[in-house]
Amino acid sequence: MENFRYLKPAAIDKALSLKKELGSKARFLLGGTDLFIQMDKGFVVPETVIDLKGIDELKGIEKKDGYVYVGARVTWTQLIESDLIRKEFPALWEASDIVASVGVRNTGTLVGNICNAVPSLEGGSPLLAYNAAVLVKSSQGEREIPAADFFTGVKKTALADDEMVTGVKIPVKNGKFGEVYVKMGRYEGEDLAQAGVAVVVDDKNNYRIALNAVAPTPVRAEKAEALLSGKKLDESLAEKAAELALESISPISDIRSSKEYRLHMCRVMVKRALMASVSRMETGKPALNTRLI
Amino acid sequence: MKEELKVVGHNAVRLDILEKVTGAAEYTDDLAFGPNLLHMAVLSSPHAHAKILSIDTSEAEKLPGVHAVLTGKDFPEKFGLYLKDKSIFAVDRVRQVGEQVAGVVASTYEIARNACKRIKVEYEVLPEIHDPYDSIKEDAILIHPDLGNYEIEPWLDAQPGTNIAHLRKIRKGDVEKGFEEADVIVEGEYHIPHVAHTCIETHISVSKFSMDGRLTMWNSTQSPHTQRNIMAHSLGIPHKNVRVIAPPIGGGFGGKAGISMEVMAAAGAKACPGHPVKLRWTREEEFYNSSQRTGLRNKVKMGFKKNGKLVAIKHQMFWDVGASAEYGSNVVNATGFSATGPYYIPNVYIDSYACYTNNPICSAYRGFGYSEFSFGIESTMDRAAKKMGFDPVELRKINAIKEGEGVAYDVPMNPNGLIECIDKVAKEIEWGKEEKSDDPNKIIAKGFASVWKAPAMPANESSSAFIKFSEDGSINVLVSGMDLGQGFLTAMAKIAAEVLGLTLDKVRVELPDTDRNPYEWQTVASHVTWSCGNAVKRAAIDAKNKILDIVQRAHFIDKSQLYLEDNGVKCTTQESFFIPYSDFVITGIQTEHNTWIGGPILGSGMFMPEYTNAMVNPETGLGGHPMVHYTVGAGAVKIEIDKETGRIKVLKMAEAFDLGKAINPDLAKDQIVGGFVQGMGTALWEECIFDEKGKMLNDGFTDYKIPTILDVPRDMNPILVEVPQPDGPYGARGHSEHTMIPVMPAVANAVANGLGVRITDVPVTAEKIVMRMGKPEFMEEKK
Amino acid sequence: MNHTVKFNLNGSPVEVQVKSNEKLLDVLRDKLGVTSPKFGCGVGECGACTVLIDGLSVRSCITFAVEVEGKNVVSLEGLQADGPTKIQKAFIKNNAFQCGFCAPGFVMSATELIEKNPSPTEEEIRHALAGNLCRCTGYKNIVDAMNEVSQENKEEGR
Repeated sequence: MENFRYLKPAAIDKALSLKKELGSKARFLLGGTDLFIQMDKGFVVPETVIDLKGIDELKGIEKKDGYVYVGARVTWTQLIESDLIRKEFPALWEASDIVASVGVRNTGTLVGNICNAVPSLEGGSPLLAYNAAVLVKSSQGEREIPAADFFTGVKKTALADDEMVTGVKIPVKNGKFGEVYVKMGRYEGEDLAQAGVAVVVDDKNNYRIALNAVAPTPVRAEKAEALLSGKKLDESLAEKAAELALESISPISDIRSSKEYRLHMCRVMVKRALMASVSRMETGKPALNTRLI
Repeated sequence: MKEELKVVGHNAVRLDILEKVTGAAEYTDDLAFGPNLLHMAVLSSPHAHAKILSIDTSEAEKLPGVHAVLTGKDFPEKFGLYLKDKSIFAVDRVRQVGEQVAGVVASTYEIARNACKRIKVEYEVLPEIHDPYDSIKEDAILIHPDLGNYEIEPWLDAQPGTNIAHLRKIRKGDVEKGFEEADVIVEGEYHIPHVAHTCIETHISVSKFSMDGRLTMWNSTQSPHTQRNIMAHSLGIPHKNVRVIAPPIGGGFGGKAGISMEVMAAAGAKACPGHPVKLRWTREEEFYNSSQRTGLRNKVKMGFKKNGKLVAIKHQMFWDVGASAEYGSNVVNATGFSATGPYYIPNVYIDSYACYTNNPICSAYRGFGYSEFSFGIESTMDRAAKKMGFDPVELRKINAIKEGEGVAYDVPMNPNGLIECIDKVAKEIEWGKEEKSDDPNKIIAKGFASVWKAPAMPANESSSAFIKFSEDGSINVLVSGMDLGQGFLTAMAKIAAEVLGLTLDKVRVELPDTDRNPYEWQTVASHVTWSCGNAVKRAAIDAKNKILDIVQRAHFIDKSQLYLEDNGVKCTTQESFFIPYSDFVITGIQTEHNTWIGGPILGSGMFMPEYTNAMVNPETGLGGHPMVHYTVGAGAVKIEIDKETGRIKVLKMAEAFDLGKAINPDLAKDQIVGGFVQGMGTALWEECIFDEKGKMLNDGFTDYKIPTILDVPRDMNPILVEVPQPDGPYGARGHSEHTMIPVMPAVANAVANGLGVRITDVPVTAEKIVMRMGKPEFMEEKK
Repeated sequence: MNHTVKFNLNGSPVEVQVKSNEKLLDVLRDKLGVTSPKFGCGVGECGACTVLIDGLSVRSCITFAVEVEGKNVVSLEGLQADGPTKIQKAFIKNNAFQCGFCAPGFVMSATELIEKNPSPTEEEIRHALAGNLCRCTGYKNIVDAMNEVSQENKEEGR
């Protein structure tokens, strides 16, 4: 790995002014579980690495004004250990709990995951299904990017060179709801998702379905959502919605899976995730982390 | 004197567990060599097959910190274990992606790597071969045009002018007549991909040429003496001046048998005398540049009588040994002699071809080819059972080979407990009992396989041992077998303790150091418990005789009345007589005249099977006695399959092996569990995937998936069967590799039993199951 | 860029000169002589390099040494001031490892688990140790040992 300048500012403003000055020659470092490997393999060669782990403002999970704010420094482990996330955002909780391994979850972050923006990312589809927003700052000011607009391509985001993601903002749901994240890996152990499905339903028969690893970015299955909207779910409706969800994705064939199998699995996963979400809303079952596939 | 065994056959905690759990074990990379240590990196070929037109190392040499740059022209000699077809660095042509073209020794690894990037190599790309079927085509480009000039063991049969490095044929009986007599014939074609050992410790060597001309190597290895022999020959220095030390090893599984990257470290050291030179593979290099398991394409045809009896087999195996056959040729040879499975078959026709390809080199891998060919055999047994209306377990019992029946090369089979293994596994897995899943999407199915394997060794393989006593009556056992984790040290300690009446806390067994420990061929073939165990037993008996002799002379008690127990010598005729070893094993015994009798007690022992003969008729494979004995066993799985997703969960496993005598039953069972899980990885997920240019697409754990703690069955049942091996120590024979062999076919058979889909190419992935289900060409025929 | 990194290693303050691009694993092994964390894959996937940083298990092969400034780093060497821990004793009793190369990483991950959850269920044990690869054992004895630790802790009211 090439040597680099390592800086660890204690305030957001300092980090932002550095980034404004250095632009794409500098990279922000959070857990580093993605960035480190890209640098080690020589895919990314930053002149400067700005470690954000000295900035306290980026810490913490907070519920305020109808939203839950997750700071950029929040690790997967902190998400898993948060009662708030577990109770109010079970799909995000399930996605967090299936990322890599404990040793990676202890340092890796949700924000780092979405900034890395690989198609397989676990963090993307729950955020899309929640209609979450990505909180962005630069030395010029701040803005919110809807999660659905944040991802622009494989490893590409709407972020400008001088911008930093400070956290994500997830609307709190009112009333009863049920959620599921289901992942297709090659086995139970650590694996990158070959497909992932996040489903959020509520007792007014609103359905939100998002998928990852089956298109260049995480995507919402809007046609399927429209079909379901306002209807009470049953198995045959779930099957029709699952079929329709395939129209929103464009999986590829690679060594992990063929396109055909990904399509097949997405159909099964969307159907089962829908059924399980409704069942969770109504009965509390299946329990969190129950493997649906 | 009591006859029952006090140590052997009882359970003890393994000798090396404390050092491993406390982090005290110093693996090669943990040893400190001081600031004089240099680091080595290698430049690998990006091409699968190419001529090297030129290599320009001048820019690399200029880099500050670089001590030496090495290329093939510095080392023209070929080396290899059985067939010398390998170069230290590529000479004139590269034959696989990842083949090492040059090496750099530098003060840091970073500098060495950067220097490698500055080496300019000009290639002329040649046509490449990646499939054994392409390798044997008449117009195929020759990967080793000089095959006819290579040094080769006399029992190998290379075919110069072709890509066939070895052909083992068996022609027993009359196979055509056999098929004519058969009532049912089942044929099939199978494919096994390359898989990788993936020891968690990658290959590593630290080599040092001292100024007095001695070469010392600290290697993560299964084969210290073999490495010493090869190094001494290739460097032209006396054996006594080559010292190979084997620190604890972080996994072997055959991947660290023989010699591979260690020669590069030695070459680096030769160029930088006085400096220790460290070469440690990255995980990617580990996949490319150590070895992989042989790939196989095979065609199996088996003929049965109506009563289920096998009458004929024709088995053609086309092995993808990769770019070198220096070790893989013996996989081809051993399986050629054994590719009937553990069944008596009167008419046998086997062809086993070692096919060069431009894929990574393949050599020993736990199971030594038997996993690969047994997949086809055991799939065929199940297909035949269904076609004939037999229960698959019953069909195996009908054909199970018995003691005295002729094996493929027509030598009588050794005593064995195959039927007992089959029965015990069937009972444990509740064979025949239908089980239902609570989940309507899932079904539960069971699959069965029975297997055998013999150690694959040169006819004159051998082991030896020294035992030396210390003042306190404890012993150090010096052997050159390697504890790869299988519990070898513990087994040897127990054999020595048993003979010498020692408690286990008095015994230490030393890891190999070729300067100090006596000769061992290699720790491969699951043969060291048997072979080195015999040597240790003889060394212990030698020491025992010396002890008895001294006591007889000092106390005037006839030897026949003396026995060893409780760390000392006792007498059958005088109950109160007891001399602890600590009283005399170094100092001797004082006489009434104040003189002394005795001296330091030493024992030595050696073992070589004197009945083996590898020189068979090349046309028939008959006329010799190439294998010492077979270990037999059986395995079964209970799996849950999700019909919609094809995903498999292995719920339960049972495996039974006849290991003759379990020296330490707990550790013997651990081998079954560990081997099963490794086999399960190859059955369900593991596969080296290459692009059309021979580049490996999954050379890391990201995409080469080995089982994790979440993926293993919660219900694992290892079973030991003990039908003694007549020439084994306390009746023992090996079983560690064998434990992998039943898993691939057992899983495929379970899938066929559950869903009717017959998967003939492993791994048996969820995707294959879903995509093939219901398609007639993949559905199994039934009676 | 060069740095002087100060941190606590196994209970004692240490100071070490590193470049920004140096990996914690290499610095521990080559500069500080702490060899229980092993190199296995270099990308955080096998768990052999696991150490605890401020009580959390971390992959030292994908951590920059500069990142541990001011932190408490504990390797297997630092767990055993009073001899083998309860977890280690259970691993010993159960012959939990074969080649042993993965053992230090397993002990570290298991230590973190038991600190957080003294009497985990078997599935919690498996979930927590899933990032540590072992090629030899099939994991059975590791799980058996951890079940014993869990049971013992439960009986002790932890």
